[in-house]
Amino acid sequence: MLLEVTNLNAGYGYLQILRDVSLHINKGEYVGIVGPNGAGKSTFMKTVAGLLSPMSGRVMFNGEDITGLSGSDVSRKGIAFVSEEMNLFVNMTVQENLYMGAYNIKEKKRQNERLEFVFELFPRLAERKKQLAGTMSGGERKMLAIGRGMMSDPSLMLVDEPSFGLAPQLTANVFESLDVLMKNGVTILLVEQNVTKTLAVTHRGYVLENGKIVLEGKSADLAEDSYVRKVFLGV
Amino acid sequence: MSKNMLAGPWFWMRTAPGISIVTAVVVAVIATVQSGPYVLVNVVVTGGMLALVATGLTLMLGVLNIPMFAHGEYFMIGSLTAYYIFTPISAFIMEHPESWLVTFGPIIAILGAMIGGAIAGIISEKLVFGPLRRRSTDNWVMNSFLLTVGVSVLLVNLHQLIFGADFKGIVGYWQGMPVSIADVYISKDRAMAFVISAVIVALFYLFMTYTRTGMAIRAVSQDITGAEIVGIDIEKIVMLTISLACALAAVAGGSLLFMYPSYPTVGLEPLYMAWFVVILSGLGNILGAVAGAFMVALLKVITVEYVGAGWDFVVPSALIMLILIFKPSGIFGSDVRGVLDK
Ligand SMILES: Nc1ncnc2c1ncn2[C@@H]1O[C@H](COP(=O)(O)OP(=O)(O)O)[C@@H](O)[C@H]1O
Ligand SMILES: [Mg+2]
Repeated sequence: MLLEVTNLNAGYGYLQILRDVSLHINKGEYVGIVGPNGAGKSTFMKTVAGLLSPMSGRVMFNGEDITGLSGSDVSRKGIAFVSEEMNLFVNMTVQENLYMGAYNIKEKKRQNERLEFVFELFPRLAERKKQLAGTMSGGERKMLAIGRGMMSDPSLMLVDEPSFGLAPQLTANVFESLDVLMKNGVTILLVEQNVTKTLAVTHRGYVLENGKIVLEGKSADLAEDSYVRKVFLGV
Repeated sequence: MSKNMLAGPWFWMRTAPGISIVTAVVVAVIATVQSGPYVLVNVVVTGGMLALVATGLTLMLGVLNIPMFAHGEYFMIGSLTAYYIFTPISAFIMEHPESWLVTFGPIIAILGAMIGGAIAGIISEKLVFGPLRRRSTDNWVMNSFLLTVGVSVLLVNLHQLIFGADFKGIVGYWQGMPVSIADVYISKDRAMAFVISAVIVALFYLFMTYTRTGMAIRAVSQDITGAEIVGIDIEKIVMLTISLACALAAVAGGSLLFMYPSYPTVGLEPLYMAWFVVILSGLGNILGAVAGAFMVALLKVITVEYVGAGWDFVVPSALIMLILIFKPSGIFGSDVRGVLDK
């Protein structure tokens, strides 16, 4: 098991959002978390990424307890987080942002290899490498955020709502690039509001509601589930 | 700014930075022609010092979001350290005029001031800013501001208590004839003060632009969460930034000891002036702070020259008010948040 989260309770100050959330991901898997707005999906991702410290529970990564580590320590363990807000360095160029993504990699040669890999994945970023991140369009920024996450050569990528606010065409592009990553052997945990799409591309899925996991299973099965169909797909 | 440069110098000259830089240069030239080259020398020496202090302020504000009102006290710590290092050195030089210390003694004192400032910064972070940050970041700007005022009062009074309220000054760092450029004579101390600030500002700029650590500092200033996500150790960067900012102020205090003897409140004037610079130039970038520093220095020197010595705070303050009304982001202020960018 690459990631194993057990009975995670987390929130903001005294406000508890997640209640006893347990979830696991095997190496090479593509797993989705779906759920309505405000369910706590982003809170879960931030807690695993080390940006929020949990109230209780355990997070194991690669057989190592990483509960409560800081975001930078978690990143050094090999987890890349692509947040909903992207958190790009707006006054740096595309290329500088990407190099910052490889902050944990010391050798320049390996950094450049990663850069080439990301440029191959997103040729658009290569065309725009001298442009300031703050002046890019929404879709380009998403690509940059995902590309920056890839730069550290992570074994697990946490991707929060990559299609949020994107036009359908761009959404398709983003999903395609995640597909390519998956085929390159990267394990991905994807959070999305686009339930149909997510259950179509992922192997397994979890349904999060009010901070609790209410359903889990193979994505194909979830897509057929009557509860999911009623609540999320309106059929 | 580079975008505007591309559109041609004529366009650039009509932007806010263009207008102010061109005006400043013209005023400086006229004043120099009218009153003599010492005006220019004063502007350059004061401006260099201000650039150091103001860059430190910019760092504190941009990276840590702290409106630093204790920065003058690190200037004071620098001048005090330099005084206590240089006094025995200069006594030694009196007896051994051939010693290598004649040339390198002042450098040792000034470097000592810089290190003293850096250490003082680290102590302040450990005892004051760090604990506040860990306790709560709610209402951070206001709370940290009040804290810096407290630190300022504390350091001023500590100086008075331990070292007394008298002026602790030196006659000069470097002996010998003034340097002459064209027909202008500049004392060696003044020339060196400028050279030192120019070298340090240039090194600092290169450090921020090209090194991994410098880029990490800029990353933290632009998006602290993003910085944490990519694996930057925020605590380490915060510590480094505070010590750098304080070291910059202290080296200014140390290298200007011959002009400003150390006493408890010696830091107030550089502090106010540096705040003028930061407000004037906006949180744009290092180069903006440097340009702003020379403009404020020019304003101050010209006010003293043509209006009177008592007015050198009034005129810049009035100008600051005007700027806050018409261009709150400052002359070089960037639209996107984040300091220290090209
Ligand atoms: N910084 C915060 N402080 C307090 N409450 C928050 C914060 N961020 C999110 N919340 C609350 O936590 C709950 C879950 O939010 P979130 O995890 O963003 O949901 P999702 O990503 O599933 O839409 C929401 O009720 C939201 O209002
Ligand atoms: Mg969310």
